Formats: sequence, C-alpha cells, structure tokens
Amino acid sequence: MRVDPNYISNLVSSLDQTQLTEQQLTAELSSGVRVNSLSQDPVSSGENVLLLNQIQQDDSFTQSSNLVTGQLQVADSTLGSVVSQLTQAISLATSANNGTLNSSDVRSISSQISGILDEVQGLANTSYQGQYIFAGGQTSTTPFATSTSTSPAVTTYKGDEDVNYLQTPNGQKIQLNVPGDQIFSASGSNSVFGALNNLVADYSSGSVDTAKAVSDTEALGTALNYVSQQRVTIDNSITQLTAASDAVTGNQTQLTAAQTNLMQADVAQVSTQLSLSETQQTALEDVISRLGSGSLFDKLPN
Amino acid sequence: MGTINSAFSLISGALDADQAALNVVANNVANANTPGYTEETPNWQENQPITINGVSYGAGVTETGATSVRDRVLTERLDQQQQLASASGSRLTALNTLQALFTPDSGSTSARAGDIGSDLTSFFSSFSSLEANPTNNALRQQVLSTATTLAGDVSNAAASLNSQRSALDQEASGVTSQVNALTGAIAQLNRQIQSTSPNADAGTLEDQRQQDLSQLSQLIGINQITTENNGLSITTTSGQLLVSEGSSFQLTTGTVNGVTDFFLGGTDITSQLTGGGGELGGYLTARDQDIPNVLSSLDQLAYGVSTEVNTLNNAGTDLDGVSGTAAKPLYIFNQPTVVAGSAANMSVVMTDPNQIAAAGLGQGTGDNSNATTMANLANQSIVNGQTPTDYYSSFVSTLGSTVSSVQTENTAQNASVTQLQTQNNALSSVNLNDEASSMTTLERSYQAASQVFAMLNTIMASALNLGDQTTVA
Repeated sequence: MRVDPNYISNLVSSLDQTQLTEQQLTAELSSGVRVNSLSQDPVSSGENVLLLNQIQQDDSFTQSSNLVTGQLQVADSTLGSVVSQLTQAISLATSANNGTLNSSDVRSISSQISGILDEVQGLANTSYQGQYIFAGGQTSTTPFATSTSTSPAVTTYKGDEDVNYLQTPNGQKIQLNVPGDQIFSASGSNSVFGALNNLVADYSSGSVDTAKAVSDTEALGTALNYVSQQRVTIDNSITQLTAASDAVTGNQTQLTAAQTNLMQADVAQVSTQLSLSETQQTALEDVISRLGSGSLFDKLPN
Repeated sequence: MGTINSAFSLISGALDADQAALNVVANNVANANTPGYTEETPNWQENQPITINGVSYGAGVTETGATSVRDRVLTERLDQQQQLASASGSRLTALNTLQALFTPDSGSTSARAGDIGSDLTSFFSSFSSLEANPTNNALRQQVLSTATTLAGDVSNAAASLNSQRSALDQEASGVTSQVNALTGAIAQLNRQIQSTSPNADAGTLEDQRQQDLSQLSQLIGINQITTENNGLSITTTSGQLLVSEGSSFQLTTGTVNGVTDFFLGGTDITSQLTGGGGELGGYLTARDQDIPNVLSSLDQLAYGVSTEVNTLNNAGTDLDGVSGTAAKPLYIFNQPTVVAGSAANMSVVMTDPNQIAAAGLGQGTGDNSNATTMANLANQSIVNGQTPTDYYSSFVSTLGSTVSSVQTENTAQNASVTQLQTQNNALSSVNLNDEASSMTTLERSYQAASQVFAMLNTIMASALNLGDQTTVA
C-alpha cells in the first residue's frame, strides 16, 4: 500500500484551520457577541432584526407617552380650576337670586361673574408648549373670544372638532384632546359660556328677573356637571396611557432578554472551545515538528 | 553460443542496465521536490534469446528508458475537483466582503452605526413621536435626521456594492491573460509530445503539460479530451474550444453594458463561463448574480419606502398650512422613477422641517392624523408585499444562508481536493524510502554483476593459459 510522502503539507493546512477557529472564538469573547457575520447564523440574524425593531418601537412609545402625559395632566388640572370657578359663580348667582341684595350689590355680582367668565375664558385658552390645548386641530389660533357688542355677550369658538390620538405599539388609540367647544360651548343648557354670559346680562341692570335668573343659574349647574363629564375623558386617557406604558415596558424587558439570549456569546462555552482549540494547535505543532524528518537514506551505511 | 565472450557482453550489458537504472533513481531523488514531477521507474527488457540448432541462449537485459508512474484518470478528477474548489473559493471571498456590509446589530446601547434595519425602525418611530406633539420643531427635525441616516446608509451600501462589482470585474479580466499564456504553452507542449512520443508516455513533457493543465483548471472550468497520438484538446465546461491539439484559441475581453464580457473567437461566452468553475467562474457568479441580487433587493426597499412616504407626505398639510401639489410636491425623499438604481440615489431632499405634513388634508396644523398614518407604514406591506422590517429581515437571512451554503460547499470541495491530492501523491510523488531501497538493490545487483565479471576474467585467463598458470594473468 503506497503512502503520500507529502502528508506534512496536509497537517499544515489543518494548523491554519485551527488558527482560524481560534481567531473567531477570540473575536466572540472580546465583543461578547455570538453572531459576528450573517453566515454564522442566518436565521438568528433575521430574527434579530425583527426583535430589535420591536424593542426600539416600544422604547419610542415610552418616550412619547411621557411627553403626552404632561399635556394631559395640564388639561386635567385646567378643567379642575374651571370647575372651582364655576362653583364660585353658582354661589354668587344663588345669593343674588334670593332677593335679599340691593341693586348695587346685584350689579357688583354681575361684574364678579364677568370676572369669572374672563378667568374661565383664559383657562379655556390654555396653551401647552406654545399650542392651544382646547382648540381641536387649530392649535395656533386662540380658540375663545367674547364680543360684548350684544347683551348678553357672545363667546365664539374659533377652533375645530379635530381629535388627536396616540397609537400604542399594539394598535390601541388613546385620545389626546377634547375640542374646546365640546367642553365650553356645548348645545343648550350644557354651554358654560352661554350660561355665564346670560347671568352677567341678568344682573347687569341691578334688578333681577327671578324666574329667568334662577333658570340661568340652573343652566350653569348643568354646564358644570357637563364639564366634569368631559374631564373624565381626559382622566381616562391618562389611565390608559399609564397602563399602556407599563405593558410596553414589560414587553420591552422580555424582548430585550430574548434578543440578548439570541445574540450574546455564551462566555463559558466559548472559553471552553478556545481552550480545546489551543490544546489542539499545540499538539499539532508538536506532531509536525517531530514527523517528516529523515528517510531510509539516513539509515543506509555509507 | 554459450562462449565466455558472450558471457562478457551479457554482463557488460547488465552493468550498463544497472547504471542506467541508477541514473533514473538519482533523477527521481534530485526531482523529489519539483512540483508536478511524477516518479519514474526504469524499464527492464529481457533481450531476445538466440536459438542455434534448437538450443536457446539468453542474451541478457537492456534498460529501455524510464516510465512515469501516473494515473491520467486520477489527475483529471483532481483537476475537475480543483475547478469546483477554486470557483467556490473565489465566490466565497467576494461574498464575505459583501456580507460585511450587513453585519448584524448586536443591540447594545451603543448600537452599531450603519445598520439599515435599525435605521428603518428609527425613521418610522420618529413619526410615532411626532404624533404626541405634531408642531414641535425638535421632533420634526428628528424625522428629517432619521430619514437622512436611512438614506445615507442605503445609498452607501449600494455604492460599496457597485465598487465591489468593478473590483471583481478587474480581477476577472486579469485572469484572461494568464489563461491565454497557459493555453499557448499547452498547445506547444502538445506539438512536442505528439512529435516525440506519440505512442508512449512522454515523461517530463507530460509532467509539464499536466502542471499547466492543473493551473488552468484553477483559473477556468475546462474539459479535457485526449486525442490520438497522445494529444489533448481542451474545451470550456460548456463546450467552447480553447486548445485543439497543437493550436490554441485566445480568450478576449470587451466592455458590454459597463461590465467586462469574455469572447472566444467573437462569441460572447460570459454567461457560459459563469457557471463553469475555476476562479473566473467564481468571480463571474459573484459579479453577475450575487451582487445584482443584493442590489435589486436594496432597490426594492428604497423604492418602496421613498415612494410611499413621499405620497403620504404630499397628501397631508404641513406646519405652514400648505399641502403638496403637482407643481410643488412635498417630498421628503428624492422621488425615484424606476426601481433600478433607487438605492444608490436615495437621499433626503426636504430641508425645512415645517414641510413635514403631520396634519391630515384640510385639517388644522395641530392635527396628527397624517403623522399616525406615516408611522403605520412600518406595519404595512409597502416593500414587495412585505413590511419594511420583515423585508429587511428576510433579506439578511437569505444572504446569510447563501454565504453559509457556499462556505459549506467550499469546505467539502477542499476536503475532496486534499483527498485526491493525497491519492495522487501516493502514486506519483517521489517516496525517498522507495528510492533508497531501489538504490540499494541496484547497487547490490551492480556489485554482483561486477563480481561475475571478475570471475569470468579469471576463467578467461585460465582458458587462455590452457592450464598453464604463468602466460596470462
């Protein structure tokens, strides 16, 4: 049986191979990443793209929800102030209606309620970071203005009915605003400005048409309840946002763990492989240096 | 004719034969490390015995030259395997360079710059962020900057692919001159071999021819056809004639559609060469199949994203209350007209962040519905029937699988080449131990023959003296 006299060259190519393996393992250890090129693990590379996409989307939503929560809380506290202003107006009107006040007191109540109306209009024209929050989609125009050319005065709404939603990563839509006219100038006896303007007109002359004043005061009470109801929408959004944010954070944590597992090098395993590879290389080098020296010619007598 | 004189000539014949055989052994040992050298064995031929009056007398031995120990079938198989291994080797090198453009993002906080998958996500997420506060200038700037990063990375990848393509083109055309030199040399050797030893192994000339053939196999895929009188014809794997016994045909190059094509006698054989094996086959496969496939995938991605985003932005209302028109469209990206080349040309043309149409058509500037719609593009099938991220994910998977399978192929083929090489070496390489033992045998045989000669000399002297010991010594 004949044998290849050049088998040493095959051993040398094996030596190259073990060196290459060592290099790859060392690269894995130093970067901590198991998959350094697409061909090492094509399926994981594809999976990785999808996982990272999810994680980054979740991260972006968390940041957006923080931004939006601030705006919603401002809306909520503004409406809270509106409610307390309206409560005060109602008690003023009630005291005027019981007939115990003289006409100058009644006139002074009219101007106080007028002051409250200005206050409420100011609250309705609240802006957050330069944008009016109760203007629907027309956030760069002041939504409410009162014209005193008629009596009772008329407060007009210059915004629109547009409602913005924030979409969560799983498709849920969270309402971000309530249009101003829906809160403050709703139809009939739900209109805050309508009721306030009427009351100002009722007490402006100093004499009280009791029946009308009482009905207008009742209207203001109805309007106040209506405002509280609208406030619930805002409160719901805040609750939904907190819940969505928590869910997203939980999701993100899980996905991050999955992605890390997928891509990170198992240090213990890599170290073991590296040590085996080094041993193999040393052994191979020894074998090469011992073999391949000498032939029968050395043994022939000269 | 059994005389002493005839014995003398018989023995001197034997001494000559041994001497010649020792020369062959010495030649083997001298050429032990010459590449392509096949071991030669001396041919012993018994001389025709002489018959006189019905009695045969032996006539000794002649050494009639050396025979190279080779197996043509084995060397041809080795060449064929070498072709495959070279092809997959050069293709693998090109693919490794290619896939380095798309190294997976490890996902650590210092995320690897230039990852197109992350860029896609960041870009669509910037619209999600814009939903929260559509008029905010910083958020609008972020949309433009993520768009710029995405366009930059896509166009850079396309540019790198195009330059890799030119590099491969140059390497492929460089192979041509080597191929032509080798085919010329082989044709010349064919002429020599056919004229000097048409019926037997041509020894060193054949060694040289085999060496040239094996080099040629590494460069280009070939089929070998032995012809009469120890001749050889060579064709490419798809049948075009390169060498026909004593004449060779030159491979020429020319530029067609911006890349180098290969011609043999006026016929464009580039597509046949692509699958044919050898380094040239590998380069051409990478240049004409792998790179264009990746480029067209990137083009699809760039086209899908650019056109859909542009269309939506053009149909909304921007911060100045303006909507896009045919005369003045509100495009974020350079609007591509055809799919081919969209990746290389992807860029951001919008400079004013106010022109991002976050609001819906006809809505006030505080509306965010168009921003929501643009963010939702990330979940719609806008790129060849898949969402952008799904498309990119399957793109990297496919690319990785291709490279991985070429790697496996290459490893297997190299192992096969090594095995065949070992077999061939076992047969044809000079084994010093064998040569040492041959040499010892021949030495002993020479010694024996000279000993016989000395004895014959003594016998001759006796014969001449006719019993008297003193006349001749």
